[in-house]
Amino acid sequence: MTSKNYRLKFFRWLIAKPKTAGLFTFLLLSTIVGFIGFQQYKIVKDDEQLVMKNTLHVIHQNIEQSLKNSYTSTLTVALTINDQGIPENFDTISKKLLHSNLPLSAIQLVPKGVVKYVYPMKGNEAAIGLNILETPYLKEEALQSIKNQKMYFAGPIKLKQGGTGIVGRLPVFQGGDFWGFSAVIIKLKELLQTSLAYVDLSKYYFQFSKIDPTTKKEVYFLPIENNFANNYSVSLVVPDGNWKLALTAKQQNYLTAAMLIPTILGLFLAALFGFLITLILKKPAELQLLINQQAEKLLKSEIKFKTIFDQAAVGITNVDPISGKFIEANNQFCELVGFTQQELKEKTYQSITHPDDLANDENNISKIKQGLIRNYSIEKRYITKEGNIIWVNLSVSPLWNENEKPTSTIAVTQDITLRKEAEELVKKTENRYKGIFEDSPLPLWEEDFSEVKKNLEVLGLMHKSEEEVTAYFQQNPNETKKCSALVKVINVNQECLRFNKVDNKEALRMSLSPFIHEESIATFVQQLVAITQEKKKLNLEAIIIDNENQFRNINLRWNIISGYEDTLERVIVSTEDITERKNTEKKIIDSQKQIESLINTIDGIVWECDSKSFCFSFISKKVERILGYTPEEWLASPTFWADHIYPEDRESTVNYCILKTNQQLNHDFEYRMIAKNGSIVWLKDIVNVVVENDNSISLRGIMIDITKNKESEEDLNNSFNLVTEQNKRLLNFSYIVSHNLRSHTSNITSIISLIEMSDSEEEKTDLLLLLKSVSNSLNETMLHLNEVINIRNNIGLVSESVNLNQYIEAAQNVLSEQITAKKATILTQIPRDVVVNYNPAYLESVLYNILSNSIRYSHPDRLPIINIKWLIEDEMNVLQISDNGIGIDLVKNADKIFGMYKTFSNNPESKGIGLFITKNQIDAMNGAITVNSIPNEGTTFKIYIR
Amino acid sequence: MKKKKIWVIDDDAIYQIIVTKIIQKTNLFSTISSFYDGKNGIEALADTIANKESLPDIILLDINMPIMDGWGFMEEMAKLEALKNKTITVYIASSSIAYEDKLKSKTYPAILGYLSKPISINDIQLLASND
Repeated sequence: MTSKNYRLKFFRWLIAKPKTAGLFTFLLLSTIVGFIGFQQYKIVKDDEQLVMKNTLHVIHQNIEQSLKNSYTSTLTVALTINDQGIPENFDTISKKLLHSNLPLSAIQLVPKGVVKYVYPMKGNEAAIGLNILETPYLKEEALQSIKNQKMYFAGPIKLKQGGTGIVGRLPVFQGGDFWGFSAVIIKLKELLQTSLAYVDLSKYYFQFSKIDPTTKKEVYFLPIENNFANNYSVSLVVPDGNWKLALTAKQQNYLTAAMLIPTILGLFLAALFGFLITLILKKPAELQLLINQQAEKLLKSEIKFKTIFDQAAVGITNVDPISGKFIEANNQFCELVGFTQQELKEKTYQSITHPDDLANDENNISKIKQGLIRNYSIEKRYITKEGNIIWVNLSVSPLWNENEKPTSTIAVTQDITLRKEAEELVKKTENRYKGIFEDSPLPLWEEDFSEVKKNLEVLGLMHKSEEEVTAYFQQNPNETKKCSALVKVINVNQECLRFNKVDNKEALRMSLSPFIHEESIATFVQQLVAITQEKKKLNLEAIIIDNENQFRNINLRWNIISGYEDTLERVIVSTEDITERKNTEKKIIDSQKQIESLINTIDGIVWECDSKSFCFSFISKKVERILGYTPEEWLASPTFWADHIYPEDRESTVNYCILKTNQQLNHDFEYRMIAKNGSIVWLKDIVNVVVENDNSISLRGIMIDITKNKESEEDLNNSFNLVTEQNKRLLNFSYIVSHNLRSHTSNITSIISLIEMSDSEEEKTDLLLLLKSVSNSLNETMLHLNEVINIRNNIGLVSESVNLNQYIEAAQNVLSEQITAKKATILTQIPRDVVVNYNPAYLESVLYNILSNSIRYSHPDRLPIINIKWLIEDEMNVLQISDNGIGIDLVKNADKIFGMYKTFSNNPESKGIGLFITKNQIDAMNGAITVNSIPNEGTTFKIYIR
Repeated sequence: MKKKKIWVIDDDAIYQIIVTKIIQKTNLFSTISSFYDGKNGIEALADTIANKESLPDIILLDINMPIMDGWGFMEEMAKLEALKNKTITVYIASSSIAYEDKLKSKTYPAILGYLSKPISINDIQLLASND
């Protein structure tokens, strides 16, 4: 009984653990398969051993047979020995013996241990004379043989005759005395051939071995092909020669291999069986699991329900509908009403319900009890433990099915106190809105446009483009009127009554149409358009005619009250009277226009800009006339002003403006701007800094075009410079005149006074001569001055086109004498066709003066070389004449070189008039002359020709 | 009273003749030397110092001269170390009536006066006595 229980338990345990059961089955079957396999293996192996033993036995018998034959042979030979101990007919008998005994290769007679007779002799000569008893490797066995008086097979040994052989020796006794040995030599090869002739050795290796009598080691005589010591071998000892025969299977593992496949198959089947068992057993286990899961789910859902009941954010109660007692209440409900669970169980719902709501509640409960309704939901008040009133939303459902007896109800209670308060607040807000609406200083209308919208939908105008809707109503004024009739006035405020000069609201509460006049139709259409576009707000200005037939400007604001966007049932329309504002605006605009026209009459650009960025906010139209830019162009770029100042003036102008603005000083300054057509315009900018609270806010000013003034100023400057230059020349001339004339006059004065004082006639004559020379000098000076005056007056100055080269050549001709005398070289590098517009006489004079100077002031150490070149410098033609003469120290004489009577050398020919006249002539031709000289190196004159 | 040495530096040859005659007429000077420009004069002055000959007491100096004018001569003379101890009285004798020249002459302490040509016997006599 107990064991049966155990077994049952075990099976149950196994069934519960299908994997373990599978494994168990697999192990059991594997063990069985293993056991059977092992038994099989053992049987086959024993069979094999038996076959091998039999085979070996056959071989052994064959060898034995051969050895017996040998014994017979030795005995036969021994019998040939006569009484004298001499063998008779040894060869003849031996021959016969050898012939009948194939394995025998030779027969010997060994009297006294010494080989004496051998057959056949051929090939065995080496053995003759060998003393067996004295040869170490033969001695032992031989002595053994003598001692046992038995034939003994020695070897196998290496034969003297060659090859390996076995020597069988029979000790021969004659008259009880040892005579010697009768011996046969059996070739091992032949012996084995004979012995193995009819034995099947295809499956085995055969080995022939012997324990060496001297070394006691096993010596193998056949090639070692396998290990003979293992299980797959059998061996047998041949006592005649202490030989060991052994057989070993060639395919040692074939047994294992043969066993492997069934074993594996067996194991596989075991595994399969184990797996199937597992599968079969698994099914109930899975089913069990499912049951467990379901049970768990059930438990969880129960817990969940309990949790919901306990933890729910709403109060849940279980109430007996007949007594009204609380059977159960959750925590939330307890918290709601302030009672503990225990306290509640003592109470009825009626006792904590507000008396005003109780009738309704009980009424519903009785309906449920009668089965009239399946549930109800009401809003009611509870009185809490502390006496506070709370609002709840109560949903009650019966916990019995239809037609069953009432058991209990479940009631879900939600605290809606906050919502109730909010509703209260909304009500208050509504009242406040009403108050605001009524008392608003703006005329307000609350209107219902829902019919209008429906009509617009019917007309298919919703979501059409604004233009389309507008056009439709312009073409169909009747539709407009119809729409206006559809507007319902819900309410108007006091101000509205006042504005419309109506006594009571009823007059306005009918329809809007009486208020739509011809002039306000457009405004109404705009409202209709706004509705089609689903706008929520509208703000426009309109003109209406009031009851006294006065035009009024109104600002109409049209707002849909939120929540009514779709239906348009409530729209607030305010109509603010903005007539006064409009009038004021008009005045301002008029005044602005006036100022603007005034500004535009000013002959200057009036502007305003930011004091920090100089970004212009206004510029008068004059800018287009003065600079060519339109005000729009100007105002488009914040840096337009600075960008268009003439680059040279830009930095200084902007910096000056910044400086003065920072000092908050009004300022005016002049600068150039680049007009649109690229011309440069001089502007005088008179700037006012607008200061507010000690901060400069903006700059205002006028730019006046002063280009003409500037031009005249420049002209004036030029004239002034000209006059100054002329004056300077005049003064210089007056000095020249006074100096040169004075030196002569003073000389004359002195000479005359000397004449007066003179004592002798001779002295008087001398002084008169002196006076004459002074008079000549004076005359000469007068001529020079006259010449200069002529040049200066430009009298008869005619310019002609003259070929420059011709004139240079002419000058050279005039100077040919001097050129020859000084061996001067004149190199002229002027294109042949250079023609200048010059007074011929002046050109002649200028060239003569400069060339003659160059020759006259040549350097005493070198021959004069004069280079004449034609250059263009600063857009002016330049005639350059350079020499390698003595040069002039310009550091000392720079201001004098072109002066009158300025000489710089002791040369008696220096008169100081040539360069003076040259300069005057060049000046008269509006040209210029410059000099560049290095003392002792040379001088270069540059004559600028216009 | 020992007669003084006078030098006349002027490029006007006729003036040189005239002034020599005038000076001779006064008979107030031992020697009269003529030089035709400033450079000529300053070289002569340097030679005189080198030869340790007696230096002039009075120099009549023109302003406008080639090579080296009167002002140049004054500057060169100021550089001569040997004249540090001995004062040579210089009078400008010029035909120039330019006021600038007159002002400039006052900047040189060695110039004692500015004479406008023509020079009369009286002028020379005044120079000789004005020590």
